Formats: sequence, C-alpha cells, structure tokens
Amino acid sequence: MTSNIKVEGAPLERSAFRFFKVTSVLPALPFLLIFGFFFIYPITKLIYVSFMSNENTFTFGNFQTAFTQPYSTGFVNSIKIAFLSALIAAFPGAIAAYFIETRGPSKLKRSLAMMNGVLANTGGVPLAFMFMAAIGMQGTLTKVLKYFGIDIYAGTFSLGTFTGILLVYLYFQLPLMVIVFSPAIMSLRREWVEAAKNLGASQINYWFRVGFPLLFPSFIASFLLLFASGFSAYATANALTVGNLPLTPLQIGGLLDGNVSASQLNLGKALSVVMILISAVAVIPYLIIQRKAARWQRR
Amino acid sequence: MKRRIDLPLLITLTTLALFVFVPMISAFEYSIRTPVEGGYGLTNYKWAVADEDFLYYILRSGWLSALTVLVTLVILVPTVTWLHLSDSKLRPLIDGLSLLPLVIPVVAFAVGAQISLPEFVQNTVLELPFLYFILALPYAYRALDIGLNSIPLKTITEAARSTGASWSRTIISVIIPVIRGAVMGTIALTFALSLGEYTLTVLLHWDTFPTWVTFVAQENILGAIAISMMSLIIPFILLTGITLLMPDRSAQRRK
Repeated sequence: MTSNIKVEGAPLERSAFRFFKVTSVLPALPFLLIFGFFFIYPITKLIYVSFMSNENTFTFGNFQTAFTQPYSTGFVNSIKIAFLSALIAAFPGAIAAYFIETRGPSKLKRSLAMMNGVLANTGGVPLAFMFMAAIGMQGTLTKVLKYFGIDIYAGTFSLGTFTGILLVYLYFQLPLMVIVFSPAIMSLRREWVEAAKNLGASQINYWFRVGFPLLFPSFIASFLLLFASGFSAYATANALTVGNLPLTPLQIGGLLDGNVSASQLNLGKALSVVMILISAVAVIPYLIIQRKAARWQRR
Repeated sequence: MKRRIDLPLLITLTTLALFVFVPMISAFEYSIRTPVEGGYGLTNYKWAVADEDFLYYILRSGWLSALTVLVTLVILVPTVTWLHLSDSKLRPLIDGLSLLPLVIPVVAFAVGAQISLPEFVQNTVLELPFLYFILALPYAYRALDIGLNSIPLKTITEAARSTGASWSRTIISVIIPVIRGAVMGTIALTFALSLGEYTLTVLLHWDTFPTWVTFVAQENILGAIAISMMSLIIPFILLTGITLLMPDRSAQRRK
C-alpha cells in the first residue's frame, strides 16, 4: 500500500520541483548571460566561421591550408618552444618549490610567492624589453660576458630566434612552475616520512616508493599547464621577433590585422581552432589531475 | 637550530636570485646609461615620465582595471554565494564553465570576440572590462569559491537574514567582510591581470599602458626600456614590501 501512494504522489512532486527549478536559475542569470555573450558566443562563432569558405559555404579548406606551409612550421615551432620551455623549467622549478616549501620560513615563502606571481604574470612586453637591454646586441650582460671571453653573438644567436625566445620564456615559466607545483609539496605530510622510516625505509626508498609516486601526477599537471602557457604566449614573441620566426599566435595576429594576406578569409579562424584543440589537450588533463589531487591534498 | 645555515635552501635561493636578478640588474644598468653625455643618469626615466601620454595611459589602464574589478565582484560574489547556499544543480556546471577560459588561448579568444561581438560593443572601450573579466574568471571564481568554502556560510546568512538584513545588505556588510581575504585576493589578481593585459587589447586595436609601451619603442627604445623596468620593478618592490610588512597570519589560520 505504501508503495502505491508513493507512485501516485511522484508525478505531482516532480512537476512542483520543475517549476521551482525554473525560478531557481534566475540568480545565476546575470553571470550566465555575460559569460554566454562574451565567451560562449564568440568561441562558438569562431568554430562555425572556421568552416566557412569565402563564399560562406561549408568547407574544410581553411583547415587544409592550416596544415600547409608556412602555417605547419608555425605549429611545429609553437609546440616545440612550449614543450622545451616547459621541460627545462619543470625540473629546477619543482626542486626549488620543494626546498622553499619544506625548509623556508613562512615570511620567505610568502614574499617568494608574491615575487613569483609578479614574474609569472607581469610578463609580456616589459619582459621582452628587459631582455633586450640585458642580452641584446649592446646589452649589459652581453658585454659582461664578452669581457670574460664569452661572446654569445659569435654564432647565430639573437633574441628574435628560437633560442632567444626560449630563453625569455624560461623567465616566466620557471616562476610559474614554482607557483603551480608548491601546493603538491605542501601536501606531502611529515608523518609519511616518519611512517616509512619506522617501517625500515631508507631516504631513497621513501622517495621512490612514496614521494615521487605522490608528486608525479601534480608534476605532470604542472608541466601541462606550462606547456599551455608557452604555447599561447603572444606578447613577448611579438615584441622580440620581426616576422622571422613562424609561431602560430603571431601568424594569427598577422592575419587578424591584415598584415598578412591570405586567399582564404577565414584561415586565421581555422588556425585559432587548431590552437584551441592543442591547448585543450594540455589543459583538460591538467584540470582533471588537479581536481583529483585536490581531494587528498585537502587536510 | 634556527641559526644553522640550511645549505640546500641557500643554494636554491642563490640560484633563483641569480636567475631573476642578473637580467633585471643588467637591464637596469642599460636603462640608466646616457649615451650622449656618457656615464649614468635618469634621462630615460625623466623622458618617459615627462611624456604627457605616460600619465594618460596609466590612468586609462587604471580605471579600466578598476572597472574590471567592479564587474568581477558585482557578478561573481552574488552568483558564487547563491551557488553555495542553494545547492543548485547548476553548481557543477558553472564550476566547469568558469574554468573554460583557461583552455582557450587569448589569441583565439581575441579572434572570436572580433568576429562575433556586435558593433555597438566593439565601438566602446567598455568592452574591455567584460573581456578581462572572462580572462580572470578561472582565478577569481576559484578564489571566491575557496573563501566561501572555508566559512559557515549558511549559518552566517541565516543570522543576517533573520535579523532583518536584505540580500544586498547581507552580501555587502556580512559576507564580503567575512571572506575579505579571498575578496582581496580576487581584487589583486583581477586588477593585476587587467593592468598588464596586452594580447587581447592590441588585437582588438585598443590603446592601454602595455600597448603604448610598444608604440614608444618605435621612436625611443631606451624610453621604452625605462618604462618596462618601472612596470616590472615597482610592483615587485611594492608587493614584496607589503608581504614583508603584513603580520604573519598563516600560523593562526592553520588550525
């Protein structure tokens, strides 16, 4: 009998709940409207237009061109510079984060966190000019090194080349690594070292059986975020190169400004969509790992 | 025990300091050279500050950033508070949406904005605070979310409401003061991000302080370097100073 009543009562309850739900979306409406108008709509339209030919018919042509010269080189260079800058910054950044977090006094930690924040985020154009002054052709550091017999301009080096840009990117990638990797270090509990030691583990045993496996997902996640940050960076490269180094963000910028003419009007949109896909391949696993790690990092 | 020198920490800090300060100090030395008279002087800095555009663009970037902070707080604080209070089914959705801007490279976002936003929006510089809001959203949302998670929000709100406070009053004079740490973090982050934003601004053909520097560089590279040094070193010293002077609260906060 009781189950009968429940079945009869269910539809009524549900419809009442549904009515409640419509009104309960209202408080989120300002956010959803602004987010939709300023973000979802532009990105949707971008994807839609990337499939349009000059005559506004459906085509894959823009994407086909996106994978030919010089745009394919742009992608290869962008991926290479993102990968290398992330790889080079990841290890020293992780080690620095470890020593600062485990051994530093709290004031030092906080001021370093602040400095890293400034370095990782101010970036862009000021950074480019700073490096011009430091290791440009007439730069101070260039001259100091020359005095000691090291001529960095003896070979093919210049700030506008691949190596030059890579060097400048490291200046914001390394602080970024310290920032994103520190929370993982903080969550390593002292009890675990002691527990491992009580069970007879040596320092090396602890690291290979406990420490590294625990830190590994966060390390990969941080690496992926650095990759995405290097891949999307525009300002620094734009200020340092003069069109001599093909990088996808610069190529898109050129097409958008009409500095570079292409027979396909929507080529820049297709390049942007490919960029989004590559960036998503790095950022989405980062977000998933972060969410999983946050569960056990919460004390 | 405190007096003992911690060698690994010392090596780490020294390496980091070299990495950060060698290029910075080298660039500073370069920026105070005076090629005409020889020797050193603040000629480049004086030139930059004397330019009437200097103040104009600092103020312009300043009010645009302030507006971004306002937009962020006005939209996000009530929304996130409501999501926490109502246990709405929208919460996981909006949690996810707020992270989406991280996935989209700013260049691609700029292209999307340029081809989609209607003319009346693109004709006013007031579009920038809303676009900056989107860029700062993943960080701002997360900061407020963590802030609200750490307080007994339901109890506080019920107390305020039952003693007769309106919703707006509850948010402004009860909730915001309680999570002031998270709110200050959001303000600092959003303001800094807007102040330094270059890519989106330049691709949408707006002029702000960061884009003005590249314009200056075309006529006076030394002046541009001086301005860049100021925009790197001043926040550096200011923020580090504030952190060092502020009382150490992390010990109290951790239970």
